[in-house]
Amino acid sequence: MSGLRVSMDIGGTFTDVVAYDERTGRYRAGKASTTPHDLTEGVIAALSTVLPPGEAGPADISFLVHGTTQGLNAFLQRRGTRVLLLASEGASDTYHIARGPRTRLYDLHYRKPEPLVPRGDIEPIGGRLAADGAELTALDEDAVRRAARRFGDEGFEAVAVAYLFSHANPAHELRTRELLREELGESVTVSLSHEAANEWREYERTSSAVLEAYIGPVVQRYLTTLGATLKQRGLAVPLHVMQSSGGVNTADSARHRPLQTLLSGPVGGTMGGVALSRTLERPHLICMDMGGTSFDVSLVVDGRPDVTSEARLEGLPILMSVVDIHTIGAGGGSVAWQEAGGLRVGPRSAGASPGPACYARGGTEPTVTDADLVLGRIDEATFAGGEFAPRSELARQAVGALGERLGLDAVAMAEGVCEVAGAKMAQAVRTITVSRGIEPRDFSLVAFGGAGPMHAVALARELGIPEVVVPRFPGAFSAWGMLETEIRRDFAEPFFRPEEDLDRAEMAELLEKTAAEALGSLDSEGVPAERRRTECAADIRYQAQEYTLTVPLADPREPLREDFPARIAARFADLHQERYGHANLGAPLEFVALRTTALGALDAAPPELLPAAASEEFVHRTRPVVFDGRRLETVVVDREVLSPGHELSGPALVLEPTATTVVPPGHRLRLDAHGSLVIREEKK
Amino acid sequence: MTAPDPRTHAADPAGTAEALPGQADPAGTGPVTVDPVTVEIIRNAVISAADDMNATLMRSAYTPIIYECGDCVVALLDDEHQVLGQSAGLPIFLGNLESCTRATEERFGREVWQPGDVWILNDSYLGGTHLNDVTIFGPVFTGEELVGFTATRAHWIDVGSKDPGGSMDSVNIFQEGLRMGPQKLVEGGEEVKAVIDTIATNVRFPYPTTGDMNAMIATIRMGQTRLAELVDRFGTARLRAARDEIFRQTEELEREVVRAIPDGVYTAEGVLDNDGIDLDTTVAVRLRITVSGDRLEFDITESADQTVGPINCGAAQAVSACRVGYKLLVSPDVPGNGGSFRPLSVRVREGSVFGALPPAACQWYFSHLGLLIDLVAKALAPVLPDRVAAASHGDSMIVMFAGVDPRNTRPYVSLEATLGGWGAWEGSDGQDALINNVNGSLKDIPVEVLESRFPLRVREYGIRPDSGGAGQWRGGNGVVREYEALADCTVSLWFERSLTPAWGLFDGRDATPPEVIVNPGREDERRLLKCNGLALRAGDVVRCATGGGGGFGPVERRERAAVAADLRDGHITPEVARASYGSPAG
Repeated sequence: MSGLRVSMDIGGTFTDVVAYDERTGRYRAGKASTTPHDLTEGVIAALSTVLPPGEAGPADISFLVHGTTQGLNAFLQRRGTRVLLLASEGASDTYHIARGPRTRLYDLHYRKPEPLVPRGDIEPIGGRLAADGAELTALDEDAVRRAARRFGDEGFEAVAVAYLFSHANPAHELRTRELLREELGESVTVSLSHEAANEWREYERTSSAVLEAYIGPVVQRYLTTLGATLKQRGLAVPLHVMQSSGGVNTADSARHRPLQTLLSGPVGGTMGGVALSRTLERPHLICMDMGGTSFDVSLVVDGRPDVTSEARLEGLPILMSVVDIHTIGAGGGSVAWQEAGGLRVGPRSAGASPGPACYARGGTEPTVTDADLVLGRIDEATFAGGEFAPRSELARQAVGALGERLGLDAVAMAEGVCEVAGAKMAQAVRTITVSRGIEPRDFSLVAFGGAGPMHAVALARELGIPEVVVPRFPGAFSAWGMLETEIRRDFAEPFFRPEEDLDRAEMAELLEKTAAEALGSLDSEGVPAERRRTECAADIRYQAQEYTLTVPLADPREPLREDFPARIAARFADLHQERYGHANLGAPLEFVALRTTALGALDAAPPELLPAAASEEFVHRTRPVVFDGRRLETVVVDREVLSPGHELSGPALVLEPTATTVVPPGHRLRLDAHGSLVIREEKK
Repeated sequence: MTAPDPRTHAADPAGTAEALPGQADPAGTGPVTVDPVTVEIIRNAVISAADDMNATLMRSAYTPIIYECGDCVVALLDDEHQVLGQSAGLPIFLGNLESCTRATEERFGREVWQPGDVWILNDSYLGGTHLNDVTIFGPVFTGEELVGFTATRAHWIDVGSKDPGGSMDSVNIFQEGLRMGPQKLVEGGEEVKAVIDTIATNVRFPYPTTGDMNAMIATIRMGQTRLAELVDRFGTARLRAARDEIFRQTEELEREVVRAIPDGVYTAEGVLDNDGIDLDTTVAVRLRITVSGDRLEFDITESADQTVGPINCGAAQAVSACRVGYKLLVSPDVPGNGGSFRPLSVRVREGSVFGALPPAACQWYFSHLGLLIDLVAKALAPVLPDRVAAASHGDSMIVMFAGVDPRNTRPYVSLEATLGGWGAWEGSDGQDALINNVNGSLKDIPVEVLESRFPLRVREYGIRPDSGGAGQWRGGNGVVREYEALADCTVSLWFERSLTPAWGLFDGRDATPPEVIVNPGREDERRLLKCNGLALRAGDVVRCATGGGGGFGPVERRERAAVAADLRDGHITPEVARASYGSPAG
């Protein structure tokens, strides 16, 4: 079979696709409009941009992965399935109490996160376990059967089951599923909380199970349809799905664990960062994806994605491995406005409608995009994918009107808007790095998405970051990243032990058991044995601390070593020092959970080396662009004419269909061997 | 676009500059030292610096009351003790960190500030709150120049009071623990070991306490770095000019809102059940608001005299509570800084519960403050109907168990605040089961965490139907949390607002007050709301029920469909549906 490795990122507006041809070692990228009524249409159209009819078809694909926002959209638009929740009698309001914090402190009209199941759709079920998992009262099987009858009578589509202490002993939840299947048949969707999230804290676990039940049937239907359509068109390999954790799974596994697909879209960008970190030989990257309305930031530390074990969606918690992506309300559409005589930029966005003033769709408020246009930083020919030309005079009018009120001319106003937007993004990045104990100066900034490359250097300057990288296909970088990742399955095991109660043999035994189970789970992913491996770690904290650090373990047998307590304490202290700036070596520790990850290496597409430039020279043109209050003759060059070895100094603009890279004065850009634009400040 | 002009190009373009017209003079308002862009960059930078400090504290604190409950605050102050930026975990700490740096300077003189020093203070009469709230602060220098201060306050789980974690029945400050006036923790970058030792020997849990102290010092340092960076980048003069402009903007936003309130005198009052010692005497809180033009005066001088029991606070804290009540209505979305609260003046009487003098007990300083905050909305409801809400359940509703865990023979203290209902407002029912206003973003303790850590079992934890006040918009419901002691232990309780339960507004009805029953249905059943160290035997049960929030608007106006939905979801029972809404079930 001729090998094409293909990835697709199905976003809200566009479906991006990247194909790597194993024969030629070359990449291709394409895109088509997303077709919300039937996503497969857009997918097929996008595929045809990289598989030209007659040349190649789905049958030539040797590996296919995609990221989907199906589950996420179902959640955001609240069009998931109707869920019946079975919860412990006496604690069945857990989901609605939701732990009771007020996260907007000065809001008398504060509302809790909107629950996905109304209180009336919760069935209290008798049966109680103790903290150690011992049974205090038996499961009330009649109550479960009554709930099953209600399910049938009232037309529910999925059941979530969340009992107290099911992470310590899953027996009641497992038995409940058996009973439900007896009553309702094998095909009923049942989400058990200890399977959705095998961790303590009943509200968070319940919320995870409910969310999985809520989006499960939607994701399952979608995956089944897409798989069947592609198969019909000749696809001969399994369809893979990007996971929130940064790994990939087969669609079959994803049907069982739909929750993991929830945040799969943007994660591709971070995984692209991970791959880029290898080719660039830069262990630490800050990845920024800036689009029209939002700005996503994620970190690659020591060549690894920053994966956390808890996420929140509109306030609802989910316990699962998820690449930590911070979204900030700043983008090209951020509106500049006046308040109490002062300038403000964002967080409000003009969105696509009315959009920036230059869209001529009725928007009169200036946006960051309008400011870029006034400064001459936007290439009008490739604007909005070349779909329509921006109206610079409208941008100038809008920016100028705001400037007049603030006492600035249009150009100074435009620069000011960009500066404030940049500073706000930089501060948000800084707070993220501070809470991780990271110094941005040790990082390179990777910029992608439509607006990322335009603002990246300014952002880097604000943060003291020495180097900016704009990868190939910045508009489809998320799709590219999906080609570069691994099969991944995560397992968590509650393991609540104060250090002094630690039984090292028990810990090793548990880890080995989970490792075996984790390796076995790769059977269904079709990973050959020699490509499987596991990683294990323990969540540890100082006693009475809440937040844990995930401390890597050398292997499942490490706890058996005589010096394990000292080793783990030192490793934890190092991590604590790194993350929090202080440590307390010798203070008592507490183990909270054990984590095992099964990884299966894929035939990752090797990085493509581009032919070096034949000469230092390249075709370009110049035009005036404003930098630091001065209009400078600026080099404008199409990215496609640049080859490895080419260098240029700012001020310059590098244009490509999906993005424009701005190189301000005092910065030098070179193209590396893989085609990335690498920009550094010039030494004085 | 015109065809490009292809030229070959090797390295540098000859960056030919064309001069652009300079900045116009903004409205000709005299000497301009800083432009609106720089002002906005600085405004965001100080907010972000406070966020960075907060992130440092939350991520590195040892005890859940800080990282989980957010019982803490951070601030950056300028060299005149004005707030540049702050990040509040706890609203009631709003804008009184500066009182600590000011008090220190008043006591020791301005020259006391030296580079590399870090200070500590917890004196109730200076900081305003109880001794558990410890403030750590330090000056910020760039070179020789004092450019400001950074400060953080957090709740320490124990400061050596007569009972672990604090007492419910203290009658003077000396029973409440170690009381520290301003003193140095770190001098010239070196820890003052003797002071740290003294603290460690006076608290019951020195290990997590010193952990929290280190986290607070790290927080101070983070703020010092950020503030010094700002001074280096913009210079003192530009920073000052920007500060003045930022404060002016904040002030203008607030005055605009205040100006829209009709001039007049608005009053509201309520009572606390008692001071925890003299259970038969209520404690009055009286608020008189005078609005004139763009100024507001809150007068709380008519409130009760300071009490024997521990519900007193320093004046600094009373001012903070007034600011919270003001901010909820006037400027909920405006980040706080030195320009905030300028339209507001507060009159406090020395010797009252709001202006306690030594040696008044201050442990439960927040009960009357919570009531005061709620009363601000009540007083101004007639003129701000869209901004107010009916009252909430109103207090922390504290349950504290202490004993020895038979599983490991270690002593333990479990301290919890209990959620309750919040008031309805125009257009919305109130929310069920939320933390009270003075506890910020505190979360409840999961049953799974509680039972794993302590020899307790939670027999029931659920929403308490019918506890919210009826109305066109229904008040939110409180909760029921019922514990069983699995080993002998003691329980201490602080439940309030049974005599002034959450009131309704605009003919909405009042909510059900709280109720605590020990051993319900047994021969030794007893009802009580406050107690200190009541002995329990294994198998004893404590059932705590919190109040709901008030209703908004007359019951006749409630839609039938809403009543039916409440019945279906169990928010009200058929009896109450009939009694309050005249609605037969379904």
